[in-house]
Amino acid sequence: MSVDAAVVFENVSKRYVRGDAQYTSLRGQLAGLVRHREPAERSRPALEDVSFRVEHGESLALVGPNGAGKTTALKLLAQISRPTAGSIRFRGRLAALIEVSSGLHPELSGRENIWLYGRILGMSRADIRRQFDAIVEFSELGDVLERPVKMYSSGMELRLGFSIASHLDPDIFIVDEALAVGDAGFQAKCVERMTALVREGRTLLFVSHNLQAVEALCERSLFLLGGRLEMEGPSREVIARYLEWTDEHRQRLLGESAAGARGPVRLTAATLHGLDGAERYEFEPGEGLEVRLRFESDGPVRGPHVNLGISDARAGLLVQCSMLHDGRAPEEMPASWECRCRIESLPLKPRLYDVFCDVYGERGHGVLSEWSRVAAFRVVGVMGGGPLAVSDVDTSGPVSVGYDWRLEAR
Amino acid sequence: MSALPETVVTGGGGFSSRRAAREVWAYRDTVLAFAERNVRVKYKQTLLGALWVVLQPLAFMVVFTVALGRLADVPSAGTTYEAFSLSAFVAWSFVQNAVTQGANSLVADAAFLRKVYFPREVPVLAAQLSAAVDFGVGLLVFFVLGPILGAEVAITWLLAPLLFVGLFVMATGASLLLAGLNVYYRDFRNALPFLMQLWLFASPVVYPATVIPEKWQPLYALVNPAAGWLDSMRRVLTVGQLPDPSLLVPSLVSTVVLAYAGLRLFRRLEPNFADVV
Repeated sequence: MSVDAAVVFENVSKRYVRGDAQYTSLRGQLAGLVRHREPAERSRPALEDVSFRVEHGESLALVGPNGAGKTTALKLLAQISRPTAGSIRFRGRLAALIEVSSGLHPELSGRENIWLYGRILGMSRADIRRQFDAIVEFSELGDVLERPVKMYSSGMELRLGFSIASHLDPDIFIVDEALAVGDAGFQAKCVERMTALVREGRTLLFVSHNLQAVEALCERSLFLLGGRLEMEGPSREVIARYLEWTDEHRQRLLGESAAGARGPVRLTAATLHGLDGAERYEFEPGEGLEVRLRFESDGPVRGPHVNLGISDARAGLLVQCSMLHDGRAPEEMPASWECRCRIESLPLKPRLYDVFCDVYGERGHGVLSEWSRVAAFRVVGVMGGGPLAVSDVDTSGPVSVGYDWRLEAR
Repeated sequence: MSALPETVVTGGGGFSSRRAAREVWAYRDTVLAFAERNVRVKYKQTLLGALWVVLQPLAFMVVFTVALGRLADVPSAGTTYEAFSLSAFVAWSFVQNAVTQGANSLVADAAFLRKVYFPREVPVLAAQLSAAVDFGVGLLVFFVLGPILGAEVAITWLLAPLLFVGLFVMATGASLLLAGLNVYYRDFRNALPFLMQLWLFASPVVYPATVIPEKWQPLYALVNPAAGWLDSMRRVLTVGQLPDPSLLVPSLVSTVVLAYAGLRLFRRLEPNFADVV
């Protein structure tokens, strides 16, 4: 490591003032003085004693669950917020590719906003003159440039904001998840732009829950947990450790949520298996899956209808296996029984999926066991190498089908 | 690569007005961008546009001329009450606009504060600048209307821009003081219109400073830093007199104190602005 790094964090800590004190009034403050609240009690650490360095031209990702301090670390680096202790040094111009549309002024036209916003973000007039056409082209807003921004749709606003921010010319740039805006085509353009900047040798600090993107863009990663630096190393290893943690964490949550589900029929165990019967957590696209559910109740149950659902993070189910739909259910089951649902092939793309379950009574009347998340699994594998494969998140379709392109001149 | 300038971010460090000035100077273009935006936005979708700059002091002048000049017969220091009050309102409008907008600027531009770095004085200064543009227009209008209403055309008019610098520094100090507190305590936003009203009547705007007994005048101008500047502005604009040192000097002293205290408090509160705004 050279002495001359692009970014150096040295024993950086940050404590935020507690939520209730954030939007304060003089009266509340005076009351606080009288009640002698301890200052230590009023703040929680968002980042604790974090040290790391980023070399010039390197791209580094910060991964970790929500509230781990990733965004806080970037905010401190961007000088938006100040550290409570420690110091941060960086060399050269720094800019954040952030969701900036909230700063656009609704009364001003797109053109005026580019000029003003660009300068507020730190571009010189000459920079903007040089980049103006590129910004307009990138935003795809050429036709409505003279209209006030208040007449834009929210998608257009986001695009304008991001276009301006992405045409800054920094030595170090910071990308937070907010990047995931706009339609899929625009997202692909954003990823393309990021990749280009990295290839040009800019230093990148990247925060994302999209681990595929992290792996594709960054050689090295930091795993933050509860404001502390849990692990630092090559992205592949750090991601593996992070996934291990999320899986453990998820199983813990599942245990709690399944135990908490109410109803006369209690789910006591939910496990996932391969078609060979071995218990599994990871599956490949197209592989088969068997869900095994153990139920208990105080006595025999008449006509229980079991329903299963599989979903990714978004609303709604991707797959539903329902006895209510099939129109057949067992006549009667004893006080303790197992239900197996065998899915021959799951055409799903790589990511995390949740399994939900509930049980309805005879002829579909009455809830015997409430709808709750009972298990989770991960589909692993690599989907192609195109620019969108990297940004394969919520907006891209989760279902994997076999297909083939045919192109011919006509 | 080592040619790239290094930036160090730490939690605090001591206060240095010189460092503050250097940081703000480095971001002068950002100040101008914010100021330009303020001016543009102010006249978007308004029917009368720039006329508003003129209408505000004119309306005040008419109201107070009728209420005080005619009905209450308030003295007008050697000129007509019309010229007397118009000259004062052109200057007072600046203080009112600059401090009101300056004090609210951080809250109004919270979207930027949470996402972009610039010295936090930038929006406050920009508010002073956009108010200064209005003052410039107002002054030009006075140069035309003033003599018609009875003001004396005099060489002392040339002092007006110089006195304006003093007024500008004073408004900046007050704005920094209030803007910093406003981020933490929104009480100030509610109290501001009332405070400005109070300040107006505590200043020699609708009445001449001579209504204060002579021996109390220096103290008056020391407590109210606007007093010396407003009184001097009126003297040079309406009756061709030089500023009265017994008012101007105390106000100069309290202006410097106010500006320093404002900046100092602002810098002390500044590290947490983005977290609480």
